[in-house]
Amino acid sequence: MSQPRNVLLLIGSPRIEKSNSYAIGKFLVDKLEEKGLVAEEAFVTRLVNTGEGTEKLLKSVDNADIIILATPMYVDSFPSPTIKAMELIHEYRKIVAPTKPQMLVAIINSGFPEKEQMDIALKILRNFAQASNFKWGGGIRVGWGMALNSEPLNEKKGMTRKLTAGLSLASVNLSEGQPISEKAEDLASTLFVPLFLAKTMTRLFLNRGWNKLAKGNNAQDKMYDRPYELNR
Amino acid sequence: MTVKAIEKSIADQLTEKGWEVEPIELRNTQIAACLGCFGCWVKTPGTCVINDGGRETTRKAIQSDLMVWLTPVTFGGYSSELKKALDRIIPILLPYFQSYQGQIHHKMRYQKYPKLLVIGVQESGVDYEETFMALAERNSINFRPPAHAVSVFQRDKDPKTIPVFVEEQLKKVEVIS
Repeated sequence: MSQPRNVLLLIGSPRIEKSNSYAIGKFLVDKLEEKGLVAEEAFVTRLVNTGEGTEKLLKSVDNADIIILATPMYVDSFPSPTIKAMELIHEYRKIVAPTKPQMLVAIINSGFPEKEQMDIALKILRNFAQASNFKWGGGIRVGWGMALNSEPLNEKKGMTRKLTAGLSLASVNLSEGQPISEKAEDLASTLFVPLFLAKTMTRLFLNRGWNKLAKGNNAQDKMYDRPYELNR
Repeated sequence: MTVKAIEKSIADQLTEKGWEVEPIELRNTQIAACLGCFGCWVKTPGTCVINDGGRETTRKAIQSDLMVWLTPVTFGGYSSELKKALDRIIPILLPYFQSYQGQIHHKMRYQKYPKLLVIGVQESGVDYEETFMALAERNSINFRPPAHAVSVFQRDKDPKTIPVFVEEQLKKVEVIS
C-alpha cells in the first residue's frame, strides 16, 4: 500500500465519545495526525439507522485509506450497530468496487482480562475485511477495559504504558502503509499486570465496583432479582 | 427462503411432539440497540432500562425450555438482527465476575436456563463454519444452557434435506429422541 493520507476512526461503542473504544482509537489517530495523516471520526450508532447516515458512513469509508474500527466486544462479538455497519459496507462494496487499496485495522476491547476471549470477534472482523476487499491491517485486543475508565490514554501512566507504547508503534507501521506489526499488536494487547493478578483483582475488587454503582442508584438490595422467573 | 423453511420445520417437528412454539421475527420486532449503560445490572437489576420488544424477548427467552437462534451466517457471526436481541438479553446474567472453565465470566442470575440450539445459514462460496461454531460455543459458556448444539446449513443445499437436518439438531439438544 502506498503512503496513506486519510484515516477514518469508526467507533462501534454505543457509549460514543465516553467509551474505551474512543479513548483507545483516538490515541492512535492522534499519533497518525502527528505524522501528517488527515483523520475523520464516525460513530456507527449515529449512522446505521437512517438512509442519510448510511450514505455518510459509506462515503467516509470510501474516502479513507485506513479504517480503524474501534469497538467493544458484546456477547463474544460486536454491538449490533457495528455488525449492521459491516453488513452495509459489505453490500455496498459488492456493487461499487473500491477505487483504491484500503486497509482495515481492528481495536477490540472487553471487560474480561483475557485477550483470548476476543479471538473469535477478531476472526469475524478478518472475515469481513477479506469479504469486503480490505487489506487486513492487524488487530489489537484490549482486555480489562474497566481499568481504562473511558478516559483519554496517558503515555506516562503505568496502567496504559504498554497499550500506548503498542499504539505508538502501530502508528509508525500504519503511517508507512504497512499493517500493524506483531510486536505492536502484542505490546498493545498486553495487560499492565500479570494475568493471574488481573483475574484475582477482577473477582475481588471489580465485583465490589458493581455494588458501589448499584448503591448510587439505590438498587443494591435488588442485585440478585429475577424479574422473569417462573414459579415451576 | 432457507431460513424460513428451517423455521417452519423446527416449528412443525416440535409442535408434533407437543411443544408450544413461538417464533419471533426480529426484523419485525422493535428492539433498540443496547446502550451499553449497565442499567440492567445496576439500576433496574434483571430488566433492561429500555422499554421495548427487547424486554419481552428476554422474558420469553429465559422462560422457555429451548431457545433457537436462527440466522444467516454473517462473516462467521450472527446477523445484526439476531445480535440486537442478544445484546439486550444480558440482564439474564449477573454483572459479578467469576472464574469458569479457567476464564473470567459473569455469574448466572437464574437457576434455570433454556437449552440452546444455534443454526446458521451460510451462503455458497464462503467458509465461515469454523468461526460460527466457535462463536456459538463461546456463547454457551456465557449462558450455560443445560444442553446446546450448533450447526450450519448451506443455502445451496437441496431444501428437501431440511427436515432431516432439523431433526438431527433437535436430537442433539435432546428435545426429541
